[in-house]
Amino acid sequence: MAEPLLVIEHLRVDFPEVVAVNDLSLALAAGDVCGLIGPNGAGKTTTMRAVSGLQEFTRGSVRVDGHELAREPDELKRRLGFMPDFCPTYDRLTTWEFLEHYARAFSVPDRNKRIDDCLQLTWLTDKRDAFCGQLSRGMKQRLVLAKTLLPDPQVLLLDEPASGLDPLGRIELRNILLQLRDAGKVVLISSHILSELSGFCNKAAIMERGRMVQSGTIAELGQQMKRRRMSVKWRTESTLAPAILAAASLKNLQLSPLGAIFDFEGEPDTLDDLLINLITQGVRVCEWRALGDDLEQIFLQSGAKELM
Amino acid sequence: MKLSENPIFITHKRLVHRLGVLAPVIIAALIGMVLLVGLGESLHNTFSSDPINAGKGFYGWVIGLEMAILILGGFNRIAQTLSEDQKAGLWDSNRLTPLKAQDIVAGYWLAPALREFYMAATLAAFGLLIVLTSGLPLTLWLGTQTLILSTALFLGLAAVLLGMAVQRSHAGVLLLLLLIAGPGSFAGPDRLITNFLLPIYGIGHLFEIAGQGSASDNSIWNPAANIFGLQLHPILITLALQISLGLFIWRILLRKTRNPFQTLLLRWEVIAIFTLLVVTQHGLLWNLWSGNFPAANDVARLAEASQPTGPIDTLLPFAQAGTVLIGIILLALASPQPEHIRVEALRLGFRNLGGVFSRSALPLALLLTAIAAVGLLTQMMFSLAGSFQHLLVAVMNLLEIFLTFVLLLDYCRLRHQRRAIGFLVLWFFVLCIIPLILSALFQNPAAAHFSLLAPGFIALGNMNGMNGTDWPLLYKALGAHLLIDVLIFLGWRQQWNLLLKRAG
Repeated sequence: MAEPLLVIEHLRVDFPEVVAVNDLSLALAAGDVCGLIGPNGAGKTTTMRAVSGLQEFTRGSVRVDGHELAREPDELKRRLGFMPDFCPTYDRLTTWEFLEHYARAFSVPDRNKRIDDCLQLTWLTDKRDAFCGQLSRGMKQRLVLAKTLLPDPQVLLLDEPASGLDPLGRIELRNILLQLRDAGKVVLISSHILSELSGFCNKAAIMERGRMVQSGTIAELGQQMKRRRMSVKWRTESTLAPAILAAASLKNLQLSPLGAIFDFEGEPDTLDDLLINLITQGVRVCEWRALGDDLEQIFLQSGAKELM
Repeated sequence: MKLSENPIFITHKRLVHRLGVLAPVIIAALIGMVLLVGLGESLHNTFSSDPINAGKGFYGWVIGLEMAILILGGFNRIAQTLSEDQKAGLWDSNRLTPLKAQDIVAGYWLAPALREFYMAATLAAFGLLIVLTSGLPLTLWLGTQTLILSTALFLGLAAVLLGMAVQRSHAGVLLLLLLIAGPGSFAGPDRLITNFLLPIYGIGHLFEIAGQGSASDNSIWNPAANIFGLQLHPILITLALQISLGLFIWRILLRKTRNPFQTLLLRWEVIAIFTLLVVTQHGLLWNLWSGNFPAANDVARLAEASQPTGPIDTLLPFAQAGTVLIGIILLALASPQPEHIRVEALRLGFRNLGGVFSRSALPLALLLTAIAAVGLLTQMMFSLAGSFQHLLVAVMNLLEIFLTFVLLLDYCRLRHQRRAIGFLVLWFFVLCIIPLILSALFQNPAAAHFSLLAPGFIALGNMNGMNGTDWPLLYKALGAHLLIDVLIFLGWRQQWNLLLKRAG
């Protein structure tokens, strides 16, 4: 297993009346895209601000590529990009000038080409001479993403990056994130819209009231799920299949001539046995899948009380 | 990093230029031209006109405008730019880059007020023409321009600090600055530190001696400035003060940029700044009494005679007021937020009030009082037998004011949180102003003695009528204030105990 690029250990952030983040630990290796999920006030943004160095923390440590935030903040700044949930831009600068500001600040080599590349990556090339103040919220969001990508950081913290994007923008954001994952970057991303995350996150961390409720790979978390909604389809009409399913004491079983939907509660092995039973009895199963979004299912069953 | 490569500087220069600089520069040039033409007209048409005085008059306008534009306007512009960037999240965004703290601070310090700088530079060029035309010495132009530039740079740094700390309107701070400097300028132009921190005395003095070689004897700008009897050029004193304080502000800015979670001032910085100001202030007053307060010496009697605006015995109360004000400001800046101490208590695991006491500003209040006491002692060191009561009351009063402030600040922060400042002001109004109002209402001067601010001022200001001082009443007032401090301390302790329980 690859050495973790981002290591958060026992992080605690105190606010006057509340412990905003409590004993949070997380380790992400190159290529990990981790969805940070939780209801409002769970501590997602505070966690990201603390990891980036914008929020003081009471206890714990943050390391990026072996460099600890408390001891080597400058090294960390070169390796970490943070995109906040709002869009800080200089309204009277053009998008190109805005990116040039940060390219200079990060001493980006071959500055002009890199700026053009980032504008292209975020579909803002035709807006290079537009003033930041004239951009829509979605475009500003893309501009801030371009700014975050400009110094090519190893670790990216993206706080609600898709909140202002239109559907097309969200698809393109997903593509960018897939590119980053393939390039071996670590991405920690928070979002209210779980379906946005499920396509490309290989890990998830679920927070509630400042605490990490669950974390791990999507597969690991999926295995921990006690209840899942399943769909099964078969090729030809069968009387056997409904009988087998009915005998399995499934909940909310809804039968149709060529399939069924049901809720399953129990160990994953029991579910596997049910599928084997169907096949060995001669049912020609052509589809067998969990319904709904994986992350959504994981989140709903994680113990987080309040929906986002 | 060179300024020409500093992205913060480049960006803010861009923003300033984008809004347009040509029109303001043309306006400044037109004003300069009008003044120059006015001078020419004055010299040409008035046969008996004295070119030196006419030149001083017109150059005075240039100086006034330059100060308004560059010093006041620039100060406001820098503070406003920084607070706007903070609100927009751009300050944090810049802090997350690998830029060094000095590059970030320099960018915010030097770029936002460029428009004001261009306007002032244009006016300065016309000022030079006025000086040359009227036959005034070039040293007047050089000296005044140096003072204006150094003050703009010094206050520019202060503006960065203000913008960093306060995100509201900064006009109030400017007004306060003028209110503090204003009365002092005329009560003792060469005796009060505010006249040197701001270039009031330096410019007044340069104008006075321009074209004469030395000032006339009856001018309030005449006396050469001296510190503990050592005669120094006022420009030197101003530059030395501004550079010393500027270096402290620079250090604070770098530290806050690197780590915004620390308190604004470290303890040793508070002590150093306070010592610098108190020692300089008492140094400026030294040769009035030469350590024999309250007996005025020849210099004081001469100054008293030539002083058109007020008696010399108001100067030590003025110095005391300045000491109180500076002490309170420094204590407020160095006083850690209770939340900060609570987090530290969590981190280090202490739960006792001893830990809180050592981290609070209370020990600092004691230290500042000791420094102020040494400053006062210099004025009375050779006459201690006769002036001990003055010293004792003034120092005790200072101690009570500082302790009251620190305890109340903590108490209000703990008890009222976001509304702390409002309650602090209310408490101080009750303790300082209400006794004065009652005294005026009931025409009873004794009540005024019980204002928290009163005993020190009364003890230091009444040297011409020592027999009239009601010392027993002053001691009663000090006793009453001490009792109030004890009560506030009990409330302070109770609030801290509550907070420390939660820290567990």
